[in-house]
Amino acid sequence: MIQGALRRFGYMLLGVGIVLPISPARADTPPGILVVVQAMDDLVSLDPAEGFELSSEQLFGSIYQRLVQADPADPATLQPVLAASWAAGDNGRSLTFTLRAGATFANGDPVRADDVIYSLSRAVKLNRSPAFILNELGWTADNIDAQLVSVDATHVRISWPAPVSPEFALHILTTTVASIVDKREVLAHQQDGDQGNRWLKTHSAGSGPFRIRRYVSREALVLDANPSSPGVAPRIKTLIIRNIADAATRRLLLEVGDADIARDLGPDQFTALKGKPNIRIAQFPSATVCYLLFNTTDRSNPALANPAFWQAARWLVDYRGLAEDLLQGQFSVHQAFLADGFPGALDDTPYHFDPARAKAVLAKAGLDHDIDLTLDVFNEEPFIDIAQSLKSSFAQAGIHLHLRIEAGAEVYARLRSRTYQAAWLYWIPDYFDAHSTASAFASNPEQGSHTLAWRAGWSIPELSAETQQAVMSSDPAERLRLYRDIQRKVQSDSPFVIALQQRSQLAMRSNVRGYRQGLDADMVYYDQVTK
Amino acid sequence: MTMATQRLSTLFFRHAAPATLLRIAATSVLSLALTLAGLLAVTFAMSALSPIDPALQQVGDHASAATYAQARHALDLDAPLPERFVHYLDRLCHGDLGVSTATGQPVLGELREVFPATFELSTIALLLSAMAGVGLALLSARWPGSWIDSVIRIISLLGSSVPIFWLGLVALALFYAHWHWAGGPGRLDDAYEYTIDMPTGLVLVDSWHSGMPGAFPSAVKHMLLPVLLLASYVLGSIARLTRTALLGELHQEYVTLARAKGAGSSWILLHHVLPNCAGPMLTVIALAYTNLLQGAVLTETVFARPGLGRYLTNALFYGDVPAILGATLVLGIAFILINGTTDMLVRLLDPRQR
Repeated sequence: MIQGALRRFGYMLLGVGIVLPISPARADTPPGILVVVQAMDDLVSLDPAEGFELSSEQLFGSIYQRLVQADPADPATLQPVLAASWAAGDNGRSLTFTLRAGATFANGDPVRADDVIYSLSRAVKLNRSPAFILNELGWTADNIDAQLVSVDATHVRISWPAPVSPEFALHILTTTVASIVDKREVLAHQQDGDQGNRWLKTHSAGSGPFRIRRYVSREALVLDANPSSPGVAPRIKTLIIRNIADAATRRLLLEVGDADIARDLGPDQFTALKGKPNIRIAQFPSATVCYLLFNTTDRSNPALANPAFWQAARWLVDYRGLAEDLLQGQFSVHQAFLADGFPGALDDTPYHFDPARAKAVLAKAGLDHDIDLTLDVFNEEPFIDIAQSLKSSFAQAGIHLHLRIEAGAEVYARLRSRTYQAAWLYWIPDYFDAHSTASAFASNPEQGSHTLAWRAGWSIPELSAETQQAVMSSDPAERLRLYRDIQRKVQSDSPFVIALQQRSQLAMRSNVRGYRQGLDADMVYYDQVTK
Repeated sequence: MTMATQRLSTLFFRHAAPATLLRIAATSVLSLALTLAGLLAVTFAMSALSPIDPALQQVGDHASAATYAQARHALDLDAPLPERFVHYLDRLCHGDLGVSTATGQPVLGELREVFPATFELSTIALLLSAMAGVGLALLSARWPGSWIDSVIRIISLLGSSVPIFWLGLVALALFYAHWHWAGGPGRLDDAYEYTIDMPTGLVLVDSWHSGMPGAFPSAVKHMLLPVLLLASYVLGSIARLTRTALLGELHQEYVTLARAKGAGSSWILLHHVLPNCAGPMLTVIALAYTNLLQGAVLTETVFARPGLGRYLTNALFYGDVPAILGATLVLGIAFILINGTTDMLVRLLDPRQR
């Protein structure tokens, strides 16, 4: 009884906490310093040849530069950054870059052809997580040295053995793993032949608009502006990224004025922040798409390999309910594998929640009995909430989903060994070219890499050939046509149910101006921010 | 030997012959060693039988087969199990707890950063709650059933029954955001947070020695709320259990005798009953300490302070096996040491326990 009374007293206190208005900001962050609060516990490495987590990807754009990069205003257009210009070779398998005159690293060292060659070959030879992106060009530790040639101090010829077009190669060179590092500085910090990897995990040797002053593992990253950065002039002096694990605390810091930008807030935090003075909520498109995947090789449940089952599942996702009610605008309904904003993406949404139709499809295929399935889900929000919604919507057609909520590493281990039945997953393109996503969803080559289609056990020799044809084509219009066709086929008949596309939201103080963000994780731009 | 140390040694070692002392110490050390060996075997089994693939964890899902194989080799996962156990013990003896798959940093270095933070916060909270808890228990036992007893009961129940993360957020909203009485999340104000060096990892010590005049007050300001919250969290159990022990002792015959000899109630409570309750009190306080060391997770998360609890929770969420093992080992050793020391002290204090 006493416990009950105490609980009631607690609720009363909670009421007081909510009603008491938070007073206007006590003080803003110091001038010239931008404080960003976000969850940064995932950060493994700040070495561009190694880091491949969301947090590090979001930072590499501020610390390092590539020869070519996506135009922040229009990511489908490439602009020269450390290169001044480029020309494709006659054989269609090489590019010659002219380096930008007078470009220097943050420490004053000039950017030379030698640095470009060293950076690319270092990333391939270190062979860490993101190296597979460079492997798309056919580069391996054994052949890379022969592919990179210094024509003179300001010209580099880059060739590749894989049958892909120069356009495709340029997109590969825009990825963060192709960042150019200062060879002299990196080698000066080499230990036991590690190519400076240990040092670069927490230090920087780049030419981007910011350089690392101090990194305190799991706590904060402090960056200083690099006024000599080629092509950009950062407008703030210092950028502090603080790791604040709790979303409610992040919101509090922003409201009080101890932070300028808060990332990774939940729907409830945005609802609470809406309409507050001095706070602005910004929304950016994101290339992340969420989908259901079925394992057709699972022998205990033959329905999983039946195309009628896949078809029924498309009518059993409550797309609008998920996007608008549950996730309150943090996701939108999207039913093709290429995210909206990618050239060639399909934006129609032919499927909606219709359990009666799903039942009819199942009955026609003789599947009108109860079906039990295990659905693997990451132990993170919003995935757990989404899985709960799927569980109730699928139950309406007699499909009973049993949720197995696990750490990401466990879910991926099951996918790779194909010991799962169904999984709710998300996909982030590795580079800004349709092939990154198409080769995962619509390619399952024999004895090839274990793509998403392989994980589904989906045998598609013709579609795989079409995907290969699309990447080899050097005609942009033909590529777009092929990718639309491939998306249509995956959308209508595959063990994938693509359902949602993420919208990235963040909250900032209303005096913060000039923040830009693009579709891909690495397209986060702090350089033009003022406050 | 001063009077004070003489009295202290009499308190601890009365009736204990040197041979007995030696036996107690030897049994304690042996039991510590055995428990530690068991802990090592269990932590290794955990790592070997875990369904999590550390190599996959490290390189990510999109990495190529060659990258994956390279990581497996680097993590010693391609060796047979017994060989891996030997390597594990060997590395452990050399102080190598492996590399965290989630952060890429050596686990030992990370623990060296987070453990002092937890140690500092928990120890201060424990001292505070032990003093307040025993004080409240004495008041309760002096006037059992009175209004004082009832008020103390409500205070102690409140501390242990209101969810600490909620209390933390409300405390931040009121004392930091609204009234500005206390520091906000983090260990120091932004001006000091990333500029002062932390050689000991104890923010009070390091800010004191930093030479920056405002650093120490800033550390104290930021420590106020989390310490008070943690203290209130264990205050209840210390006060309630100590009160029960004191009341139990008050019914003993020697208390009646003392009363018959004309001693006052407060005198009896402080000079006769309290020393005799030292055993149960020590046990309760040691339990509270272990609770604080592992249970500060939510406080550390809400107040954005580094700490062992948050480190272990993160490691569990990411399936980061080396970090889980390292943190478990440190916690295990801390538990063993706290329990062992308490056992030894209780036996020394109470001849009936020998």
